[in-house]
Amino acid sequence: MDYFLIIDFVQSLLDGLLFGTTYALIGIGFTLIFGVMRKLNLAYGAAALAGTYIGVAATFAFDAPPPVVFLLSALGSGAIGIVVYYCCFRFTPTHYPMASLLASVGMLLFIDEVVIHASHGMPLPYPSVFREATIELGDIWVRGDLLFVFFICVVAMAVLFWLLYRTPLGLATRAVSQQPRAAALCGIDPTRVNLLTFGLAGILGGIAGAMTAAAVGVLSPIIAMGLTVKGLIAVVIGGLGSIPGAIIGGLLVGAAENVFLMLRGVTERDIYVMLLLFLFLTLRPGGLFGSTAGRD
Amino acid sequence: MDFYLGLAQIFGVHTLLGLSAYVVLLTGQVSMAQAGFYAIGAYTAGAMTAMFGLHILPAIVIAGLVSAAIACIVGFPALRVKGLMLVVATLAFGEMVRLFFFNLTWQVERNGDRVGPNGAEGFRSIRYFPENGWEVWHVTVFIWFVVVVVMGALWWMDRTRAGAVLRAVGHDETAAQSIGLNLTAVKVGAMTAGGFIAGLGGGIYAHTVTHIEHGVFGVLLATFAIAYPILGGLGSVFGTLIAVLFIQGFLIEGLRFMGEWRSLLFGALIVLAMNLRPHGLLGEHAPRLKNLFGAGPARPSDPLSTKEAK
Amino acid sequence: MLALDSLSKHFGGVRAVDGISLTLKEGEIFGLIGPNGSGKSTTINLITGLYTPTTGTVRLDGRDLTAMAQHERTAMGVARTFQNIRLFGNLTVAENLWVAQNGHEQRRAHFLGRWFRAGGEHSPEIGELLKFSRLHSKRDVQASALSFGEMRRLEMARALASRPRVLLLDEPAAGASREDGQILAERIRETRDRGVTVLLIEHMMELVMGISDRVAVLNFGRKIAEGSPAEVQANADVRAAYLGSKHKDEELIHA
Repeated sequence: MDYFLIIDFVQSLLDGLLFGTTYALIGIGFTLIFGVMRKLNLAYGAAALAGTYIGVAATFAFDAPPPVVFLLSALGSGAIGIVVYYCCFRFTPTHYPMASLLASVGMLLFIDEVVIHASHGMPLPYPSVFREATIELGDIWVRGDLLFVFFICVVAMAVLFWLLYRTPLGLATRAVSQQPRAAALCGIDPTRVNLLTFGLAGILGGIAGAMTAAAVGVLSPIIAMGLTVKGLIAVVIGGLGSIPGAIIGGLLVGAAENVFLMLRGVTERDIYVMLLLFLFLTLRPGGLFGSTAGRD
Repeated sequence: MDFYLGLAQIFGVHTLLGLSAYVVLLTGQVSMAQAGFYAIGAYTAGAMTAMFGLHILPAIVIAGLVSAAIACIVGFPALRVKGLMLVVATLAFGEMVRLFFFNLTWQVERNGDRVGPNGAEGFRSIRYFPENGWEVWHVTVFIWFVVVVVMGALWWMDRTRAGAVLRAVGHDETAAQSIGLNLTAVKVGAMTAGGFIAGLGGGIYAHTVTHIEHGVFGVLLATFAIAYPILGGLGSVFGTLIAVLFIQGFLIEGLRFMGEWRSLLFGALIVLAMNLRPHGLLGEHAPRLKNLFGAGPARPSDPLSTKEAK
Repeated sequence: MLALDSLSKHFGGVRAVDGISLTLKEGEIFGLIGPNGSGKSTTINLITGLYTPTTGTVRLDGRDLTAMAQHERTAMGVARTFQNIRLFGNLTVAENLWVAQNGHEQRRAHFLGRWFRAGGEHSPEIGELLKFSRLHSKRDVQASALSFGEMRRLEMARALASRPRVLLLDEPAAGASREDGQILAERIRETRDRGVTVLLIEHMMELVMGISDRVAVLNFGRKIAEGSPAEVQANADVRAAYLGSKHKDEELIHA
């Protein structure tokens, strides 16, 4: 095999794995919400994008430095997550999942349209960090901005794990996701846990959105669909409801996407990522870490 | 006048799109792939008339069959997963189809012009209707003829054992298995029927607009497809029809004065409707026709089906 | 006719069913009892195919069902009810029976006639089942609108609609009064008299001991006793097992 082809391949794989952490974050968000509510929030990717736009708005409003933009993106997305909870999940019937699902699709379209109207559909510049820096490992280059994305996403995951496994809040969340009725009997208010989960998942989504935009350098409404579909694919590959699964799935999607980008070009890339999903559905419908074979 | 006839054409193709999702929804499956099947139908039918010079009727039937075959093939892996995972799988499938047509370039020489799908440009001059001297009202009547046939068939299906079986599977899969129903066969069957109807609808759509391109067949269209039956209610085919008239007529055409902001309303309306009437306008167990005509629970007031069938 | 051979089902480390062997004779009522969590419902789920056994086989008249899908087992003549009733609440009473006609002969009917004919819910066969379960006056009522007792009756009728050879009843008297239990016992006997073999899982000892031809007792996934109701009640192991779980002992002795 050609040496340069191998180098290209390894380079694509590496870039993909680094960028894949954003998909992992989105996947975790989907999984968290699914965990406590047994429902799919399809508006999640759009909420993440909208949060990122809130960050950008800050640069226009008072020329905010990048860290503030990132922070505002995360918080904005968290706030929108809570709004989504109230609009689509709080008051729809629990035993008719179609209602909340369709409501969240409606919300996806609504948020998307609001963003397009507010930004006139034009891509906006988004601050990126360490764009010029690279680390050279022989013929492989590690891009500084991607390393930054990777770093931030890993920190976000670490904080999440700390929250889930070391705080009373996390205990309550895990209790609700395992035994909702028992948790309610123990005096845990499910609405509060749901709210916190939506907020938390929203913040993760905002970080993912911000990091996606930071890696590309521009922010455009198209990102929402990519985040939604790729994040969902990551979750399916990993197994719905499993956080480690979402992480592995996200990295896998990121890597596969970049390798296909190298092999087949940008327009065909996503077709192959989706074929990968169908491969998994056929061979391992429960996902890598799913225990119950895709049953909900 | 032509404006209203054109509007009726949009109602017609969207009713077909909604009905294609209706069949699948009866089994409790939410398929976001209907826009994909619609796209397959649109490109296939377009190719049949514009590239190979077929008559419109065989062209849309072939489009329906191709979509049905693909729906059947996709159904097997996709239906191994349930509920929410299926939403993801079908969403991805729909996007995959869209990207496929985004990349598809396949043109042939016809009457000195090159016709056929041309990547991001789309598929231009699917001009069967104007080339053959069909007037607008001819097209409208043709579309509604197809819609009435499909609606009638589905309405009839709803009253047969097949309809009851679809609803049984939609209500409780474990119980349905325990009484000896083959879940895979039922669900793949519904998916195939849905694919056929979507293919018909897409095939007709391609000819009414003469130019199709991948962007049309995105998530928005997939959402329309499932939104019609859910908003209208899964009690009968008429829920879908009413939802199409309401959304397309009122929301899209009636509020033209709102300009671009109209598109915001669709999403907001869905959110609102699902909070206020989660089981749809006509409800889940909407009165089937018999209860509207022959009052009361006495079933013999439903002589049509029992006597004809025996 | 129905034979379970060293059937086991493990969930992770838990041996819900651990090497059970049973043989039902044609036309008998066989009671399967045991404390909560002793593996009774799991056994039914293994027979119908809802669960795949870890080891062991299920046979009906010598034909191995173990690898068959659930709908194939129904066609072979296996039918069941659920402990927590599972009706199609969105269908009428008659339609619930209509969709369940998936027995062997019914399956051989012409495809179009079987699936795409309207009005089949008014067939004489369904009318007869409705009479049998005393639901004739409710035939066009939505199943979700029935009373609890009616739901139980409908579920049993639905199981019979596929013309089964063996009927598995998972706690049919749960939540029923003593009188209802007696009516139920009558109905189970009638079912047996129609030539259907019955496997009855039940907590109500009076019912099981009153109508069963033979009884087997499960504890911790194992069979600890089998025999006539009188033999089982006299068995020391059985008494010990029920003493372990409170209240049950009393029922056992009084029954």
